[in-house]
Amino acid sequence: MDEVRKSILVIEDEPEIRRFLRAALGAEGYKVVEAGTGRRGSIDAAVHKPDLAIVDLGLPDFDGVEVVRRIREWSPMPVIVLSARTQERAKIDALDAGADDYVTKPFGVGELLARVRVALRNAVRTAGGRVLRMGDASVDLESRQAWRDGQPLRLTPIEYKLLACLARRLSLVVTHRELLVEVWGPTHAKDTHYLRIYMKQLRDKLEADPVQPRYLVTETGVGYRLLTDETA
Amino acid sequence: MNRWRQLAGYGVGAGLTLLCTLAGMAMAPRFDIVNIAMVYLLAVVVMALRFARGAAIFAAALSVAAFDYLFVPPAGAFTIHDAQYLLTLAIMLAVALVISELTARSRRENAARTALAVQAETERIRSTLLASISHDLRTPLAVMAGASSSLAERAEQLSAEERRSLAQSVYAQARDMADQVDKVLQMTRLEMGAITPARDWAAISEIVGSVLARLRERLSGHILVVDIAPDAPLVRVDAGLIEQVLTNLLENAARHTPRGTLVHVRVVMQGGELIVSVEDFGPGLEGRGVQRVFDKFHGRADESRPAGMGLGLAICRAIVLLHGGRIWAEHMSGGGAAFRFALSLEQVPSAPAET
Repeated sequence: MDEVRKSILVIEDEPEIRRFLRAALGAEGYKVVEAGTGRRGSIDAAVHKPDLAIVDLGLPDFDGVEVVRRIREWSPMPVIVLSARTQERAKIDALDAGADDYVTKPFGVGELLARVRVALRNAVRTAGGRVLRMGDASVDLESRQAWRDGQPLRLTPIEYKLLACLARRLSLVVTHRELLVEVWGPTHAKDTHYLRIYMKQLRDKLEADPVQPRYLVTETGVGYRLLTDETA
Repeated sequence: MNRWRQLAGYGVGAGLTLLCTLAGMAMAPRFDIVNIAMVYLLAVVVMALRFARGAAIFAAALSVAAFDYLFVPPAGAFTIHDAQYLLTLAIMLAVALVISELTARSRRENAARTALAVQAETERIRSTLLASISHDLRTPLAVMAGASSSLAERAEQLSAEERRSLAQSVYAQARDMADQVDKVLQMTRLEMGAITPARDWAAISEIVGSVLARLRERLSGHILVVDIAPDAPLVRVDAGLIEQVLTNLLENAARHTPRGTLVHVRVVMQGGELIVSVEDFGPGLEGRGVQRVFDKFHGRADESRPAGMGLGLAICRAIVLLHGGRIWAEHMSGGGAAFRFALSLEQVPSAPAET
């Protein structure tokens, strides 16, 4: 905690929401920079180079998705979007445009802070070369080996690919589109049924209760999220 | 569209006049000329009843012209010798005008009556909606105002524990209120037809799993049993909307049955459909009609009931219908209620095989 305070840019037009975000993030030790419009926020992102940006999808001047796109043009900084329940489409667009995660309004501060921590941690972690521990099961993505209850477990190449794609953004949501493009290629970007079938297979192999999964979590209408014992 | 209907009126007018003329020609040798006029008059009446005034007058004028030219002596000319035929012609025009005016008026009145009835129904729904909103929102608002003002104005006099519990109740009530507002908005959007389901292949087990994860806390007092046919095929639905249906059904079960009782979620395949059921072992539907429970604000009669029953099931019905499915309630044989919905199954495209 002694290291330099991480800074967070909050792009949100409602002053009351900015107020409690400022209080909650500040209390957690983050330095908070605020912007009330998308235009201002895009500039602030470039000027202040924050460690993370929180972007509201309902900005008055331009679309939050556009803000995400502009930030992604030059920076890999983690971006979390705030969406209302009626903005399902915009939420998915923002994630596909490069946002790392989302929180649906109204949200509790605990939920937001957890997402912020995960996104910041993920930004510094390097991908690959780690073992995913999921209860009785574990998967080594590097050597492509898996075990359950100490016994070797056979995963197919596609199952490994799917897990690797989810693990690269551990604890963060990965959209259907991202997974499909990554695992099966751009021509299959809309073949959601592939995903449903393979996720079921993976859960049957890795989860204690495949219907109520602890590690391969469904984000309905959006995508999936991989948790492990370290992150769950 | 209206333009076409108008043009069609003139076409029919011309056609009817032609028909009358042919009938008149057939009649001419044996019938009095006045009876032929009657045939034309009939056509004019029909036109005035069925079409707008313009087309009726057009038909009347055409009939008069045809009648005069072909039947009134001297035939083959427009001259009128006999004053009584002039009267016939005047009457025909007058009939066309009077009847089309009467028809138009009664059409206007009907439209006004329908509009009034619709307005009255809208009024009724709006007032029930207001009553329900004010009840469901006022209570949490009162709690939030009271608790937060205590925190804002009396924080020093409160123990840390009291402060925390007040703040928590503000948070809980706010969440609850957000749920209620969402339901009202959702119902309005469904009724306006503003929701198009984004259908895609979904696994019912995932939908069930994600609902259970979200409701874990609210269902913690009940014993939950989940039975999903292991070979249940994928369904092409808007997963978010179907998730909402199941959420509302499970929330209802949790709300209306005693703690410690069983709630059973079952998914079976039957006759080309996937049937999802939420069965409970509570007091059941009592005397309430099993279909009427899906009506908006049904269960609103008694203000002391737990809140929220008003819209949840109506939203379920609207969403399931939007998917072309069916939803219904049943009495369970051992007491308790079952809510079921059926989604039709489609051929799932194959996925690439892998070794």
